[in-house]
Amino acid sequence: MSFSFDIYVIQAIHGVVYGMLLFLVASGLTLVFGMMGVLNLAHAGFYMLGAYFAYSVAAWSGNFWLSLLVAPLGAAIGGMFVERFLLRKVHAYGHAYELLLTFGVFLVIGEVVKWFWGNSPVPVSVPWSLTGSMTILGATYPYYRLFILGCGIVVLLVMAAIITKTRIGIIVRAAVSDAEMVGALGTNVTLVFLGVFAIGSAFAGLAGAIAGPFLGTNPAMGFDILMDAFVVIVIGGFGSILGALVASLMIGVLQSFGILILPKFALVFQFVLMALVLIVRPTGLFGDKE
Amino acid sequence: MKVGGLRTAGICLCLVGIGILPYLIPITQVNMVIEIAFFSLYAMSFNMLFGYGGMLSFGHSAYFGIGAYTVALLCKYFAGLPLLLILLLGGVAGAVGGLLAGFFCVRLKGAYFALLTMAFNQFFFAIALKWRSLTGGDDGLSIKRPDLCLPGLGSIPMNNAINVYYLVIAIVVLCILVQWYLTSTPFGNSALAIKENDERADFIGYDIFSVRLTLFTICSFFAGIAGSLFTLFQGIVSTSSIDTAMSMQVVFMTFIGGVGSFLGPILGAGVYLYFTDWVSRITDRWEFILGVLFILLVMYLRTGLVGLISNEKIISMFRLGRDISK
Amino acid sequence: MTILELQGVHKDFKGLTVLNDINLAIEEGECHAIIGPNGAGKSTLFNVISGKYKPTQGTVRFNGEDITGLAPHKISRKGLARSFQITNVFPGMTVYGNIRNAILSRRGIRLSMLVRLKNIDAVHQEAIELINVLGLDAIKDVPASELSYGQQRALEVGIALATDPKLILLDEPTAGMTREQSREAVSLIKNITKGKTLMVVEHDMDVVFSMADRITVLSYGVVLASGRPDDIRRDEAVKKAYLGKKRHARGQ
Repeated sequence: MSFSFDIYVIQAIHGVVYGMLLFLVASGLTLVFGMMGVLNLAHAGFYMLGAYFAYSVAAWSGNFWLSLLVAPLGAAIGGMFVERFLLRKVHAYGHAYELLLTFGVFLVIGEVVKWFWGNSPVPVSVPWSLTGSMTILGATYPYYRLFILGCGIVVLLVMAAIITKTRIGIIVRAAVSDAEMVGALGTNVTLVFLGVFAIGSAFAGLAGAIAGPFLGTNPAMGFDILMDAFVVIVIGGFGSILGALVASLMIGVLQSFGILILPKFALVFQFVLMALVLIVRPTGLFGDKE
Repeated sequence: MKVGGLRTAGICLCLVGIGILPYLIPITQVNMVIEIAFFSLYAMSFNMLFGYGGMLSFGHSAYFGIGAYTVALLCKYFAGLPLLLILLLGGVAGAVGGLLAGFFCVRLKGAYFALLTMAFNQFFFAIALKWRSLTGGDDGLSIKRPDLCLPGLGSIPMNNAINVYYLVIAIVVLCILVQWYLTSTPFGNSALAIKENDERADFIGYDIFSVRLTLFTICSFFAGIAGSLFTLFQGIVSTSSIDTAMSMQVVFMTFIGGVGSFLGPILGAGVYLYFTDWVSRITDRWEFILGVLFILLVMYLRTGLVGLISNEKIISMFRLGRDISK
Repeated sequence: MTILELQGVHKDFKGLTVLNDINLAIEEGECHAIIGPNGAGKSTLFNVISGKYKPTQGTVRFNGEDITGLAPHKISRKGLARSFQITNVFPGMTVYGNIRNAILSRRGIRLSMLVRLKNIDAVHQEAIELINVLGLDAIKDVPASELSYGQQRALEVGIALATDPKLILLDEPTAGMTREQSREAVSLIKNITKGKTLMVVEHDMDVVFSMADRITVLSYGVVLASGRPDDIRRDEAVKKAYLGKKRHARGQ
């Protein structure tokens, strides 16, 4: 099997691009899970909603950048609604019911999407300003994908800065470590939860909006990204942003090469990796032991 | 005890009722009852896993589907085998799948467990979809139902709804009896103890992994049997028997009926099937309605319909097995 | 005979050393108290012995057998039981059910699918006997979550005891109790653990001095002193470690 060098590079970049997208989704998921102990399945639903919002806004206004603004906003509102009115009620019943609730919300979002936008994929196109491609090492690479990469890096840097440098970031990190303690120290933990939920959903929505032209906007996209995001946080460790980053990139690149080398077994690769991690180090690469 | 006497009478009445039912109602309803029967078994296997084991699985259709496909494949390639053996092997195949997946899943708890079961579900689904030469892909496999050969009764053809009805009911009732028995054994108690407090159970000598894996395998067996009956009834199996929707269905059914109640899933299966049948006739958006109802159920009525029935006597009639207070 | 032996046991957590070179020998039949200021590592010690944590270094030998790093359920089956500082019972099950869980485990009846639970008379008898000894017979059908604090603590110890262990680790059995309750608890514990070896972590010095044959003092993960109660009372290093803290010991 001989591939020219540039194909490897292209696939690697492709993998990193998808990995960045995954990271945008997985980071919110892992934060909420680490902090509240809830694996929010609806998160993938907000990703999907973001994509569809973006499509509609772009179709109506003709402005791609506007849709990038509206989509995360819409997703954040949705996220806050779910946390405030649905999840909070069920919190007292235990984790199983929280999980079931988010599962239900995920399903309902899927149905809502099919209701308003139909069962087939909607035509989302790359915005004018980002069409075309550039040559890297002898091969052409679409600008849009580089744009996704750029977005991901910007978000990552912003997130890193907030989490490590600001007071809010410290509170969030503390809450991931021990929410009860943070509450006992006087911080309004409920507000922190709501905030993290909202921001996580916003990121998911943004990811969906960006992903649309790249992966296609269709009713199954939520489920697809959910499975991948799950693999990411298992491998990366729950509550760990760094873990989510490393694992996202890993999975992105793995899938990318997997499809190239063994197309039939692309799905299985992830499985094997996930199963291995679960056996050897169940809390993930960066998660807390014990 | 007065309730005990009432209970036995109630059971006998039910059994007699079930026995003469096919002659009292139109064939379409007989088919409906058959569906309720094996879906009840499917739901009860899920309920045992969640209610007794504390394990919430989002990928239970994997074992249902494995059972369904196994029966189809056996009918196709080993048509000479006795029907009962074929159905049993469907359950065994489900159990094997459960053992394999459970080995990984059972070490995890809560959300991790749920999603890993989902992942295995996807894995088996992918096999069913892609291995066209074996499974027919999304076209599926159709079968010619073998006759049931019983000593003394000869060959009973299975293309007759009433015959299928009796066979399915007999098998389902038998499975329910076995499940009920299991809940009253030390094994059932171990599963419950681990669900109540797995750490303490660990420290008093219970091997959590073994108990959970055994329970998972048993529940997968019963799911497999339900899948076998599904293929027998439908005469055809396709990826719809092993997909996410089928996994979701069992969650709905169990919750509608009531988790933690032994016979609740039967009520849940019945209500679910009749309700979705009715609603889907009225509107295309029935899945949306179902989703919303599910959310409302989880928020406001997590004990299910059984929880609604506050009459003590009626409740104790449903408590054949050992119920869990939560 | 030494029933439990710790040699060179270290336990690190992400760079923090909680147990540092612990060497301990527990004699069969004795009541050995572990005391020390908060954060000394007492609970961690129990966790290492009972299998919850694997020591970073060192060995734990029980009855001459190396049990270092074994899983908790395996250690329990060898006859080493523990109770917890924060009550750790089976909340939805009755007192009877709680005790029975432990008895079934002791008898190895955990996976049996052939008999019906209520038909096993021997288990039933044993459970009732133990419940009587614990003084919980009046509430034996009450769900554990509905018990009073004192009753829960009694159940807590009872579950550990029901596995009929040779060595039993009690982690602050009188935590949160009044003087009177503590006295009753001590009397009960002495009664039901006759013939067994006991290791007790305690903060209440009255309890310690009324129960212990020997005492080990732990501070910052290190053994400060180990010996008979009178020797410990007089030990300078121990006094220093406790200096500034309220002294509960009588006669000081």
